[in-house]
Amino acid sequence: MDSSDESATRNKEAAISAALERLWIRFLPEIKARVEILESAAHALAAGKLSPTQRESAASAAHKLAGTLGTFSLARGTELARELEQLYAGGEGPSPEQAAQSARELRGMIEGRAPAGA
Amino acid sequence: MIRKVLIIDDEDDIREVAALSLESVAGWEVITAGSGAQGLARAAEQMPDAILLDVMMPGMDGPTTFKELRKNPLTAKIPVLLLTAKVQSNDQRRFADLGVEAVLFKPFDPMTLATQIETALGWS
Repeated sequence: MDSSDESATRNKEAAISAALERLWIRFLPEIKARVEILESAAHALAAGKLSPTQRESAASAAHKLAGTLGTFSLARGTELARELEQLYAGGEGPSPEQAAQSARELRGMIEGRAPAGA
Repeated sequence: MIRKVLIIDDEDDIREVAALSLESVAGWEVITAGSGAQGLARAAEQMPDAILLDVMMPGMDGPTTFKELRKNPLTAKIPVLLLTAKVQSNDQRRFADLGVEAVLFKPFDPMTLATQIETALGWS
């Protein structure tokens, strides 16, 4: 690759990063709403009141977060969300402590996310 | 070569990031649909070179949409790549058994999504 190709690639990457940042800001409310579903499920779980519908919503919210967060450079978020999805969709579900801890960690990384390339 | 790709996904964020990636990185033309039913209509109208199809969608899910695409003579030969956040091996086997061209995984890297599609379809 010669230097003009390298420069074109760098420019393209910078343009994509900037566009991704705009999409992150646009979709942040939706992403936070998914974390809120996980927080509500964790509270319900702690109170022993997690309904099947709430459990299904939590599995679905976790699934969506798992598919999205890594694309926005939050690979650990995808990992946590994937774990929660499997637990909510599976037989026993997460423990109340794990559900709360993972939801807290997800919120922290979403709110503290630095822009790509920063 | 400019390709035309249809993205079918109910999640706005995934649809937009994938579209951004294919348009900006590869320079392809992208059309989108937010549901399986809308995707079937778009595919028949637009005749894309390939379809990127989400697995878990409310209403008509990805596997059902794929079967419907195959039933329609107009869309039966369009290559389909499933896009999924499911990484467990039993899910992967189930998806591969459907007869799709490839299964791609979420989250994807916007810088390399087009290359993954090209490689899977032998376009490169």
